[in-house]
Amino acid sequence: MRPEASSFEEIEHTADWAIRVRGATLPDLFANAARAMYSLVVDLGALPLTETRTVEVEGVSVEGMLVKWLNELLYITEMDHLAFSRFHIEALDAPGDPPEGPIGRLLARVEGGPARELRKYIKAATYHGLSVRRDTDGYSAEIVFDV
Amino acid sequence: MTTQTVIRKQDFHRVGEYIWELPKTFRSDMRVPVRIYADEELLEDALGDKSVEQAVNAATLPGLVRYVIVMPDVHQGYGFPIGGVAATDTESDGVISPGSIGYDINCGVRLLGTRLMREEIAPYLADLATSLYKNCPSGVGVEGHVPVSKTELDRVLVEGARWALERGFARPEDLQHTEEFGRMPGADPDKATPKAKERGKDQLGTLGAGNHFIEVDEVVEVYDEEAAERMGLRQGQICVQIHCGSRGFGHQICTDYLERFERVIHKYGIRLPDKELMCAPFNSPEGQDYLKAMACAANFAFANRQVLTYHIRRSFEETFKGKINRTEQGVPVWDVFQVYDIAHNMGKIEEHEVDGRRVRVCVHRKGATRAFGPGAPGLPDDYKGIGQPVLIPGSMGTASFVLLGTPGSMAQSFGSTCHGAGRVMSRAKAKREVRGDVLKQQLQAQGIQVRAGSMPGLAEEAPIAYKDVDRVVNVVHHAGIAKKVAKLVPIAVIKG
Repeated sequence: MRPEASSFEEIEHTADWAIRVRGATLPDLFANAARAMYSLVVDLGALPLTETRTVEVEGVSVEGMLVKWLNELLYITEMDHLAFSRFHIEALDAPGDPPEGPIGRLLARVEGGPARELRKYIKAATYHGLSVRRDTDGYSAEIVFDV
Repeated sequence: MTTQTVIRKQDFHRVGEYIWELPKTFRSDMRVPVRIYADEELLEDALGDKSVEQAVNAATLPGLVRYVIVMPDVHQGYGFPIGGVAATDTESDGVISPGSIGYDINCGVRLLGTRLMREEIAPYLADLATSLYKNCPSGVGVEGHVPVSKTELDRVLVEGARWALERGFARPEDLQHTEEFGRMPGADPDKATPKAKERGKDQLGTLGAGNHFIEVDEVVEVYDEEAAERMGLRQGQICVQIHCGSRGFGHQICTDYLERFERVIHKYGIRLPDKELMCAPFNSPEGQDYLKAMACAANFAFANRQVLTYHIRRSFEETFKGKINRTEQGVPVWDVFQVYDIAHNMGKIEEHEVDGRRVRVCVHRKGATRAFGPGAPGLPDDYKGIGQPVLIPGSMGTASFVLLGTPGSMAQSFGSTCHGAGRVMSRAKAKREVRGDVLKQQLQAQGIQVRAGSMPGLAEEAPIAYKDVDRVVNVVHHAGIAKKVAKLVPIAVIKG
């Protein structure tokens, strides 16, 4: 899955960093959000493709899953000094309505390489104002990062 | 989804020269009013981004008492505005909200003093800046951090700066001059998540990036001689500020507890206009667990600033020992003592007077500083008579202030005041308008030594991206929620 560069744009935010992401499908949205995040952190074009990781996420809302997905990737980046540029969403089951609905699950394989020097340190992806919307063009979301 | 709200100046009642109130009738889901401390210009600034809308959203949290308070340095954050204070009743339906404390739990400022004077360090300033940059690591995996085993990390999380004292990184008097005496009570490492511990174990004694810094300052103005003398401050003297927090450990605690809270929020029947305000009842198992984990992060941050203090002492010794031999009362003038250490992202359980009765509240301060007045509990003996020192760093290259808590802050703002200058420009715009290398040259031309790891990072923190800190401090001073003691200007800036 190779998202287009136009799949996200930066939004003005006084203190932190915010993006608007789009995707034709929900898996595209998740992949594009991750790619957008890493475009801030590293030069994606210069990143080698030498490492693969598997990421699993559970959540009770699509928004919560999107935040957790990005924060899981940030955790790997900080612990293993890796960044990623390819995101293969292998399974994505959206959650049902709480409290009885089923938990949502995501399974992804991500490819990238060593990135010891980061352009920017992101503390976390936040839930702020986060709403995954669906329209005729697919899915969109605005994500604020604490930087 | 965040409720979109248009807020105009005419929606406020002016309840004091520097206090503006948005009544709770402004939006039907508000439980308390919002009070903003500002002059007219700073109010316009606050209305220029989403910070007031975020305060209105925060005013919907269950169990709030009195009002949500917005400081003059407010700026848009995520969920709760940066520069906000909210107190929830811990004895009834009050909640605890991690996003209203922030990801960088116990981000704070430490002020260190010396007896060196500006003119005598001038020939050595470049060497000092280089030594500080070398000795105080900024990031992960950098030589100089203090690696700790899992067992020892648990001790850090429980003991905070006391752990640093045991390990030889502190002097006993440092702890006396630290908020909570450097140890937040109630920490339980079993409530800190495994991921937080993994992130934290290699980050102790590191500065971090973003707006975190070490700064060498000169005291250029003293407003209150008696209080300044009590704190060991005088005109022309050299000081050092450290601004940093709990690093990846604190960020992961916030991240993990927000996720946990999301899973249970429906069972408590809490509805919020913004998911980032996610909360749990204070007395629920989830709320109590977060409180214990937050205390761990607070202690990590106290220990972190203490280890950095140790490195700063090494740098002063390396730079000045054998070169400046002057002493005062038998102590070398380059010896570094601690003035005070404050937190400005924290939740604290405190007793405050509300409508004539004492109420035990959880005071959420996000980008706001505790500012206890004279005689308040928790102050060291030598500061009991003057009140708690409050440390307000300005933007890079501009002034910083030392203030004191007042009876007014106790009466008006849950013993709280502002925390800094406050941003007015996005990081992206600052980078478009300012080049890091040019800014560095400009600062050097003003006589400020700059050591920075990242030039784009430097540009993001350019002074034009911030409000006028003098104006911010004047508002809290005149409104009576802090009082001015001294003004500092930078002569060296060290950034990650």
